Amino acid sequence: MSSFNSILGVFLRESKIHYRSFFNILSIFLFFILSIIIFVFAVGSNKELFNQIGVGIIWTIILLSNTLSIKKFFQNDFDDNSLIIIHMSGLSYEIIALVKMLTIWMFLQAPFFIVLPIAFLLLEMQFDNLKIVYLSFLIGSVIITCISAISGSMNLLNKKNFSIGGLIIMIFSIPVIIFGVNIVNVSNNIEIIKAQINILLGIMFFFLAISPWASGLCIKISLQNK
Amino acid sequence: MKFLINPNRFIKFSDLVFKPLIYLSAIFLTIGIVFAFFLSPNDYQQGATVRIMYIHVPSAWIAVLTFLIMTLYSIIGLAFKINFSFIINSAIAPIGAIFTLICIVTGSLWGKPMWGTWWVWDARLTSVAILFLLYLIIIFLKNSITNINVSEKITAVLIIVGSINLPIIKFSVDWWNTLHQPASISKLSSPSIDPSMLRPLVIMTIALMLLAIVIGIIRIKAEILKRKLR
Repeated sequence: MSSFNSILGVFLRESKIHYRSFFNILSIFLFFILSIIIFVFAVGSNKELFNQIGVGIIWTIILLSNTLSIKKFFQNDFDDNSLIIIHMSGLSYEIIALVKMLTIWMFLQAPFFIVLPIAFLLLEMQFDNLKIVYLSFLIGSVIITCISAISGSMNLLNKKNFSIGGLIIMIFSIPVIIFGVNIVNVSNNIEIIKAQINILLGIMFFFLAISPWASGLCIKISLQNK
Repeated sequence: MKFLINPNRFIKFSDLVFKPLIYLSAIFLTIGIVFAFFLSPNDYQQGATVRIMYIHVPSAWIAVLTFLIMTLYSIIGLAFKINFSFIINSAIAPIGAIFTLICIVTGSLWGKPMWGTWWVWDARLTSVAILFLLYLIIIFLKNSITNINVSEKITAVLIIVGSINLPIIKFSVDWWNTLHQPASISKLSSPSIDPSMLRPLVIMTIALMLLAIVIGIIRIKAEILKRKLR
């Protein structure tokens, strides 16, 4: 029971931190909206074109906005040694990583559900597709959170190269982009949608299994050599 | 077999086999090039461009094999705390990257006359391109963390996570409809390639693998000496 209490404590603490850095989170979504507006300016307002490639644009920019939030995962707690203190309360690094992933998903991914219709509005896309995009994003966001956790924990002691974390996220989320965007393109055939969703779920469970281990190990290694 | 996990034994063993390996690889490379250019027939459809295969296929195999070796060594190194495996990882990653690049470049040179395009987004080509990017990211990540104890272990974790790409490369031609042909040579069935072309391919594979091993030995030795100096 005590471990459950400490998990709850970490969860509440993380939520409080995210709640207090509200404008920090808001700026990520501002980045998302601004990128879409810039995309519209760059390509020109073309309704038919956006109906074809709009989902791809949205997914790409979601991915890019996620690379902004890598530092929010473990870096601050690592720098002020909170990770060790949480670990001393009896939680393994894997559990800490899982709880952090949950809070990050709640505060940095779930708001995309509110922002996505705005993106649809800006790109003048058909709202029939919104449901399928929601479905693919629901699975894909979990995968991206897992990958961000891995990438964030790998770069704890990286003081030289700021972009490598984003690169790690982007290279592992290529399958998410492929299958997440493809769902919408085949949206008239329910059988193919089911197959794609199953593949996405498979990737999700794979990363859910591997990312606590990988990030826990990376945190441990970095703490040992701090 | 202790030379595979012990640096001192490795240096002793490599001193023993280094010279024979160099001669062997030179001989095989000469024979292979002679076979590939003069003693193998033209393809009845592809003409002389089929000779690109003799460097394209072996380099692809070496590229994947190198990543497989790195994965195995990462698992061994993290599980049993054997530091030598990280030395091997950092030494052979650039070799794998270069062979992947050779594979991609020769493939695209072959693709232009045969498929009519330098590059298509089919599953095999894309997954090999991802393999190349993974190699680059592994090298960058290793160099961007100053503390070497951290960087090599974290790179090992990245290698293990990235090894998910290997089965995708292997089975991409079976899972998707690709422009790239499926494997002609497999363990379970007899090869669907004519012996007159199989012969130079095997010789070139052996030659390039020996060459990769020779470069690998040089790089691993240099890496060991670098660590000793520190």
